[in-house]
Amino acid sequence: MILAFVVIGFLSLLVAGGGAAVIMGLSEDRNVWVSHTYEVESHIDGLRFHLERLASARRGYLLGDDAKFRAAYAASSAAIPAEIDALQRLTVDNPRQQRNIAILRPQVAQLTAALDASMAAAEAGGRARAAQAFATDDSAPQTRQVQQTASIMFAEEQRLLSLRVSAQAGYVRAFFVILAICGLLLAMVAAGSVWVILRYTRELARSRDGLRRLNDNLEQAVQERTTDLQRANDEIQRFAYIVSHDLRSPLVNVLGFTSELDAAARPITELLDRAEAEAPALVGDEVRRAVREDVPEAIGFIRGSTQKMDRLINAILKLSREGRRTVSPEPLNMNELVQGIADSLHHRVTEAGAEIVVEKPLPDVVTDRVALEQILSNLVENAVKYLKPGRPGRIVIRGRRELAKVIYEVTDNGRGIDPKDHERIFDLFRRSGVQDQPGEGIGLAHVRASAYRLGGIVTCESALDQGAAFQVSLPAAYFGEIMV
Amino acid sequence: MTHEQPVTILMIEDDEGHARLIEKNIRRAGISNKIHHFVDGTTALSFLFDHPEGPAKNGPGLVLLDLNLPDMSGTDILTKIKADAGLKRTPVVVLTTTDDKVEIQRCYDLGCNVYITKPVNYENFADAIRQLGLFLSVIQVPEIDGLG
Repeated sequence: MILAFVVIGFLSLLVAGGGAAVIMGLSEDRNVWVSHTYEVESHIDGLRFHLERLASARRGYLLGDDAKFRAAYAASSAAIPAEIDALQRLTVDNPRQQRNIAILRPQVAQLTAALDASMAAAEAGGRARAAQAFATDDSAPQTRQVQQTASIMFAEEQRLLSLRVSAQAGYVRAFFVILAICGLLLAMVAAGSVWVILRYTRELARSRDGLRRLNDNLEQAVQERTTDLQRANDEIQRFAYIVSHDLRSPLVNVLGFTSELDAAARPITELLDRAEAEAPALVGDEVRRAVREDVPEAIGFIRGSTQKMDRLINAILKLSREGRRTVSPEPLNMNELVQGIADSLHHRVTEAGAEIVVEKPLPDVVTDRVALEQILSNLVENAVKYLKPGRPGRIVIRGRRELAKVIYEVTDNGRGIDPKDHERIFDLFRRSGVQDQPGEGIGLAHVRASAYRLGGIVTCESALDQGAAFQVSLPAAYFGEIMV
Repeated sequence: MTHEQPVTILMIEDDEGHARLIEKNIRRAGISNKIHHFVDGTTALSFLFDHPEGPAKNGPGLVLLDLNLPDMSGTDILTKIKADAGLKRTPVVVLTTTDDKVEIQRCYDLGCNVYITKPVNYENFADAIRQLGLFLSVIQVPEIDGLG
């Protein structure tokens, strides 16, 4: 719409300009005609002049018989027909003037004939005759007639002139009007263009501001979210740390006083022994059972449970401590790192009658050495731990790069994991399958927490008796957490 | 008495059970020195610095310090003891559940003499306390000589 407006503006400017040019051309044409009129008038004037000179030269000659007058007469006499011819030629388009010329010609011819005759008579008859001829001169009315005709012609030209001049003035006026229109259009187009430009600029500025605001908001939102996450994470870490510490305090008491109980039970047992030996009647079955069975059993359970609780608390503590450790990424040679893990487990692996195959080359990665080492060695240890009895174990470690990620895979042909436990095994203190191996259910929880810390994930694919495949997917280059 | 002033033991420990266990084991180790027990940092500090029987006025002393106290951190007390000209030679044994390396490092940096983690395993704990008892009997002599 705005474009159409601009186009229309420029088109009308063009039309106005064209109109001005046309008017200019027409005016030029009028100019030519005006000067034509002036030319005709000058010829009429010339004719009048020569007629006048003809008459005065003749008078002079008749009175003074001077050769000078004679020559002037001859010159004007020759010029008059030429002037008339010129007039006829110039006014060929004007029938009125042609008619006037037709009247003029015989009148001039008559006049000049009369004058010529008087000149000839003067030449032939001498002074006296000439003076007589001058006295009886009848050329005056003829001269008046000629002059009158010339005046009519002049008037006619004046009429044309005034017509043409007024026409030209009209054209000039029209020209100025068009010029004014042009100016107006120009001003309008200019104003319109400026308006359009301003509007576009404003819109641009507005959308740019909007974008910047969005961008700022986005950054701010991300920052806020990151801060929130960081805070929540810190809170959890602190929570785990404090809880595990504060839980240990009562445990120290429980275990400590259990031992005190145990110690106190000893003299009681001795007393019972003595009583049985010296006064068996004093010892009832209840007392015997309490001292010999119930108390030691209770103490045993309390101690066992408390010790287990201590191990669990220590596991949480370890995880929280791991979470608080600063991640320091570095370029890692994975062939060396994985071979190192395989070598460190060599003894246990051969004992279990298994083998570890490292499929080299493994893609390299930039990440935290300790964390990745712990992840992989945990997975390989698990693979060694849960082999299928009676089947030669084979643990394969391979890796591949996918875009900006590296994936390391630890596969075994061991006893496998029930698919319903695939998520559960990553939970703290949760284990799967037959509980025939030592452990607290911490390893995989630790693996997953570490993988998250490195910006990656760990997943499991397995079925019972089908072996298991653990995949660790990490960013190929990890540069720590996004710090606020 | 050949020793004019036996070492006074200041136990700063908010957990009554722990305090009792520590005391029992110290006694079992054959240490019969007087034990003052404080359950918070404020009273412990006022005893340390201002009490007529405290080590500042009436040395020598030995401090058994738990780090997790209700009103302040044990490291604050440690810092104050080691910053005081009169108390800085008083041995401080940190006895706490924290086995965080950084925390242990920090205590040694602040001038703690022995750091003992309270193990849940009671036998280890008793052993540690008994060894502490041996330690106490060793440090008794130079402290007394220093004062005498």
